[in-house]
Amino acid sequence: MALPNKVLPGFSATLYAQDAATPTPLTTANLSTWASVSAIAVAANAVNVENIPAFGQDDAVANFAVAGSRQSDKIPVQAAPTSMSITAAWNPSDAMLLTLRDDAYNGTIDRTFVVVATDGTNSIAYAFNGRVGQWDIDSNTSAEAKVTFTIHPRGNQYGWSTNP
Amino acid sequence: MAGQNSIDQYMTSIQSFLSGLVSVPVLNNFDREFANSSQFIVWQLRDVHQPVYTGIYQANKGIDTPVFQISIFTTTINTGLALADQIMQGLHGYTGQFGSIYVSKADVHMLFQGYDDEIKLYNIYMDCFLYIPA
Repeated sequence: MALPNKVLPGFSATLYAQDAATPTPLTTANLSTWASVSAIAVAANAVNVENIPAFGQDDAVANFAVAGSRQSDKIPVQAAPTSMSITAAWNPSDAMLLTLRDDAYNGTIDRTFVVVATDGTNSIAYAFNGRVGQWDIDSNTSAEAKVTFTIHPRGNQYGWSTNP
Repeated sequence: MAGQNSIDQYMTSIQSFLSGLVSVPVLNNFDREFANSSQFIVWQLRDVHQPVYTGIYQANKGIDTPVFQISIFTTTINTGLALADQIMQGLHGYTGQFGSIYVSKADVHMLFQGYDDEIKLYNIYMDCFLYIPA
């Protein structure tokens, strides 16, 4: 396993999405398998977003407080993957944005998304299955038109992997 | 934990990358090249700095974001603009191997252009910001 062993700039990360109108998302095991994930992380599948928002796992905790005891307790629970609210410069003909727009319209298409960060030699990938919700075009005249959409991951369907 | 990147390595990498990008002489610092060449490029590195984070350990540092200025000198403005475009196309937004270092992003600003009557050369100045994992 070759994890990048460097501090990476934020924009080292790239977002990819599985292509095809009705894709077959990766299995949970394959979401942690570099060979499966890297097949999706190719140039043609890049989603040209402005920024990749926080990704990973949400915080979740169960709070226990028992009357009469001195301190309460916080117990972490298995949390869902984080929803990603994404902004992209809007090119109405961008093939990948059209695919994701159709996902938002459909509402029930599961697709594998991959975030890959690299130091040039080694890469780390975070892959998850999710659905696209929201499709807002902001055509504020002070800047380029932008599209905002949200990817909601499906519970328990994510994994980390690295190049061999 | 991130160590300190080498300025020496930055310098040789910039020289090597720029020389590969254009086919005119590429020089670090201005010299009397204007007496020999009708077109050439001069560059200088500045603002090398990795942020230092908390604690007693020297290797607790962030990424480096140095800048190098590219100065293009030509006897005609057209060749200067063509060179500037060549650099812009090849360098702006570049990610990848950059000489002996890897850059996550190169970001080029075209600053201004002018004419120096003393040496009879047109000039175009550009700043290139590099983002280097550390």
